[in-house]
Amino acid sequence: MKRLEELERGEHLICCHECDELSYVSDPYRSGRYNCPNCGTLLFRHRKGLVEKMFALSVAALLLLLLTNYFPFLSFKVAGNTSEANFFTSAIYLFEDEQFLLAIAVLMTTIIVPLIRIVLSLALFGALYYGYLPSYAPFVLRALHHSLPWGMIDVLLVGVFVSMVKLVKMGTVIPGISLWSFTALVFVIAAMQVVYNPHPVWEHIDEARRKKGVI
Amino acid sequence: MRALEHGYSACRVCHQLVRLPKEQGGRYLLCPRCGEEVHARKPNSIQYTWALVIASMLFYIPANVLPMMHVETFAGTQSDTIISGVLYFLETGSYLIAAVIFIASIIVPITKLLILIYLLVSVQRKDPMHKKSRQKLYDLTELIGKWSMVDVYVVALMIALVHFGGLTQIKAGAGANYFLLVVIITMIAAMQFDPRLIWDIKEKR
Repeated sequence: MKRLEELERGEHLICCHECDELSYVSDPYRSGRYNCPNCGTLLFRHRKGLVEKMFALSVAALLLLLLTNYFPFLSFKVAGNTSEANFFTSAIYLFEDEQFLLAIAVLMTTIIVPLIRIVLSLALFGALYYGYLPSYAPFVLRALHHSLPWGMIDVLLVGVFVSMVKLVKMGTVIPGISLWSFTALVFVIAAMQVVYNPHPVWEHIDEARRKKGVI
Repeated sequence: MRALEHGYSACRVCHQLVRLPKEQGGRYLLCPRCGEEVHARKPNSIQYTWALVIASMLFYIPANVLPMMHVETFAGTQSDTIISGVLYFLETGSYLIAAVIFIASIIVPITKLLILIYLLVSVQRKDPMHKKSRQKLYDLTELIGKWSMVDVYVVALMIALVHFGGLTQIKAGAGANYFLLVVIITMIAAMQFDPRLIWDIKEKR
């Protein structure tokens, strides 16, 4: 029990969020995966260069997102009629048909949540990259934690492929530049989720607060 | 060594280890690092999860019976449900796409609901068996949760692309709304369930 109290700062003692097992991590800064010894859940993953990688990936993701929204996503041609769609088109038509629930859900999960996540991680890791710990860092980390399940851009990619197959039978589908940048975006966002590890940032925040004498 | 037995809990967001105060029933605290509420266990997690599971089971019926989308052409209106969409792909020979839609809109939601019901019943019956496999099942529900959205996105994309003035249009049907609700509610249900409850059950000696 004495050891528990000594370790109460919680830096090397970690509690599994799934099975409540306390385990001792001898060196949390060694590269690798850290799994719970009891249930095997991935506790966190540490690799060198978190800030640099996250900064680079969020810049890439933001550029790809802008590119994806600037050009038409898919064009569809039937008997001389052409219709083009970008990311917002389906949300706009759904609003016009007064399908507000669907419109809001599609808009949130495919545009707003991914955009917010990219901008927030750019704001945080950009600042950290230039050696400055922003005061909004805890807010960003919390927002990133809570918004994680609601960004569904990877699911949309599968939806795009399915609807392309459906439409090919009705007319001509012309994939735009957008589609390629969107595919790249899905992979960049997946890479961001793999690299992302909030623990070193939280410890950085703790350290800064300790220096200021807040805790 | 379990955290609860020593009066500790971890913050869900920043994983800070906090000592739970005894005077509040040892249950609830704001995380000193990030400000998130820290509970020993998610409050009323079994009741909330049951409520959401039952709600999504009810919504799943109209989601399958009512049409997902209406295709309006000058020749008339054709309506598609989830099953008729799968059958259409099977008839036209796109077996892969048929499998994707079948898995995403039928197998995934049903699996998720069955797993959650099994976890809830086994926790309520204090079943000490197969803790690790139940944990894996819970991880699976969280992992596959959002993939049921594929069908909703297909409807949304078809609406965006097949839009030729008055000639040919696609409109979303009521089924799509109910299906969306099923997906969102089961996702929230999985988040409400506290997997630590599985491990709280003591082995019988």
